[in-house]
Amino acid sequence: MGSPMEYNGGSVVAMVGKDCVAIATDLRLGQQSIGVAYNFDKVVAVNDKLYYGLPGLATDVYSLREHLRFRVNMYRMKEEREITPKTFTHLVSSSLYEKRFGPWFIEPVVAGLPQPTELDPHPKPFISTMDTIGCITTPKDFAVAGTAADKLYGAAEGLWEPDLEPDDLFETISQTLLNAVDRDCLSGWGAIVHVITQDKVVTRRLRSRMD
Amino acid sequence: MGDCSFGITGKDFVILASDMNAGRGIIKMKSDENKIRALGPHLAMAYGGETGDTEQFTDYVERNMRLYHIRNHNALLPPAASAWIRRQLAQSLRSRKPYAVNLLLGGFDTTTSLPHLYWIDYLGTKADIPYAAHGFGMYVALSTMDKWWFEGMPKEKGVELLRKCINEVQSRIVVQFNFNCILIDADGVHQLDLSASDPIADLSRAPEKAEVEVPNPIIAAPA
Amino acid sequence: MSDAPGGGGGAYSFSLTTFSPSGKLVQIEHALAAVAGGDTSLGIKATNGVVLATDKKAPSLLLDTSALEKVAPICPNIGFVYSGMGPDFRVLVAKARKIAQAYWKVYGEYPPTKVLVQEVAGVMQKATQSGGVRPYGISLLIAGWDAHRGQSLYQVDPSGSYWAWKASAIGKNTVNGKTFLEKRYNDDLSLEDAIHTALLTLKEGFEGQMTENTIEIGIVTCPTADQLVEKPGERLPPTFRKLTEAEVRDYLAL
Repeated sequence: MGSPMEYNGGSVVAMVGKDCVAIATDLRLGQQSIGVAYNFDKVVAVNDKLYYGLPGLATDVYSLREHLRFRVNMYRMKEEREITPKTFTHLVSSSLYEKRFGPWFIEPVVAGLPQPTELDPHPKPFISTMDTIGCITTPKDFAVAGTAADKLYGAAEGLWEPDLEPDDLFETISQTLLNAVDRDCLSGWGAIVHVITQDKVVTRRLRSRMD
Repeated sequence: MGDCSFGITGKDFVILASDMNAGRGIIKMKSDENKIRALGPHLAMAYGGETGDTEQFTDYVERNMRLYHIRNHNALLPPAASAWIRRQLAQSLRSRKPYAVNLLLGGFDTTTSLPHLYWIDYLGTKADIPYAAHGFGMYVALSTMDKWWFEGMPKEKGVELLRKCINEVQSRIVVQFNFNCILIDADGVHQLDLSASDPIADLSRAPEKAEVEVPNPIIAAPA
Repeated sequence: MSDAPGGGGGAYSFSLTTFSPSGKLVQIEHALAAVAGGDTSLGIKATNGVVLATDKKAPSLLLDTSALEKVAPICPNIGFVYSGMGPDFRVLVAKARKIAQAYWKVYGEYPPTKVLVQEVAGVMQKATQSGGVRPYGISLLIAGWDAHRGQSLYQVDPSGSYWAWKASAIGKNTVNGKTFLEKRYNDDLSLEDAIHTALLTLKEGFEGQMTENTIEIGIVTCPTADQLVEKPGERLPPTFRKLTEAEVRDYLAL
């Protein structure tokens, strides 16, 4: 069957800007070289300050998303508060490690803005990513995952710069994703970009090559 | 995998078609096997995969859909049914012996009057799409559907598109196929006779003749 | 049933805590009586922290009191003190520490006070409804700090009921203690004031001499923004800690 990580295809990228973060995904769902759906959104909102993307094996995208929705809803009710990006990252990580010897074939990407508090009035934008068994990396610039990860690294390395304003961050992440997935036969078929700021989330659908 | 099935949604209906072959390896043992199962008053699936697994799994799904209907006096709507079926396959995938069943789930949501079609494979992958194919159909007929399918299709156009797909399979694939076809709309699940020149006209002329036996429980109204 | 704490389980494992015809759970009332006979413990919430204090009189001069522990740290931000049966307390402390570490394993941080309180209250409630077990013979005072709710003080009873307090006393002399606290408490008490009020309250009805050997004190201090910044290779300083004997001696001398 080949690698489960390349069976359905798909990619996710997240980037840090000035008091904002962005996360973007392609929309393809395939069965190896055959395209099956062009509406497969791999990015999900936890709340209006926290999004995450789950590129990898599509069945596990659903299963893990359902598992995390359950855990986050229970957290919200028990703790009477919204989960922070950092805590959510740990939750995802421990969920993945729980299946250490029969893993979910997913490499999650998390992007969020922590809520300002009295003790921390200017929290830094947060992104993180994990391998399939939950080893966390928290980059300062961008995080990539999926079948176009190698191409995304190249594109992001060239385009990203520090302290981008929301509009510029949108342009940067969009160009990074589109140009990377165009070089990957398992990703593409449209894209969705979310730019998260303290007062709103801007979500845009991108048109791209449909081949 | 020697299977082949299609699903097409339109304005107020969904069509499911499945090949009728049964056999092992290169041997065909049957060419009139029904591989479409009604799961409720407005829900059905076309399935393929490992013989044995297919029967076991579809029975399991059908009985559970019926159980839900009996318990709740309402059939599970297509989106919820798709989530339940997907979950069964995803859980089975990581068991000792997973079900090897691929299916197209078609349904009509009577609350919104919208048709639904789900492409689901044995891994538990689910795609919510307007037209789909499994097996050989994926190789030769998806492009046919890409070209001819359009938003808000009437039933006649749906049948026309299905015929194009079947024609593609029969002319490009070495294996010979017969096709069995159903249509689900607001009135329920109907058999479509593809040998008729206009199956839709036949359907509206004698709807009771096309009625598919549905696991529809008779529930006494509460006193 | 088989997961009942300490209970053997099985089909014939009935709960020992059953309703009396008047609707009371007499076992729980007996447990509360055990608490009421225990040494006094109290807690006061201040503007910048919480104090827990307890009487730990030794029944004999020959006992090495430094080995007795009645105020127990559960995790870096939460501490317990109790009135009632010592052995039951140690069992609950062990369970609470395990709960806190399990939480850390999942979320990468220690539980907020309320969440731990609810978990421990759940453990205590279970002992009132499970087969083959008796209720815990203690009441707890739980002090903690978390980023969400700040400093807080809770009491948990053998029934599993819990309350958040500004100040409370449990064990012997509860009524007098609470009356005293009601008179002394105000909403802008500092931690230093609270520690002194705690000592004064404890002194009411204290039998014998109050020394660093006969009482125990634990405090929660609200961290500054600076203290919450993680430095590489270092852990965040704990917000709950016990006062050393020397510190207790200094407070008593004032």
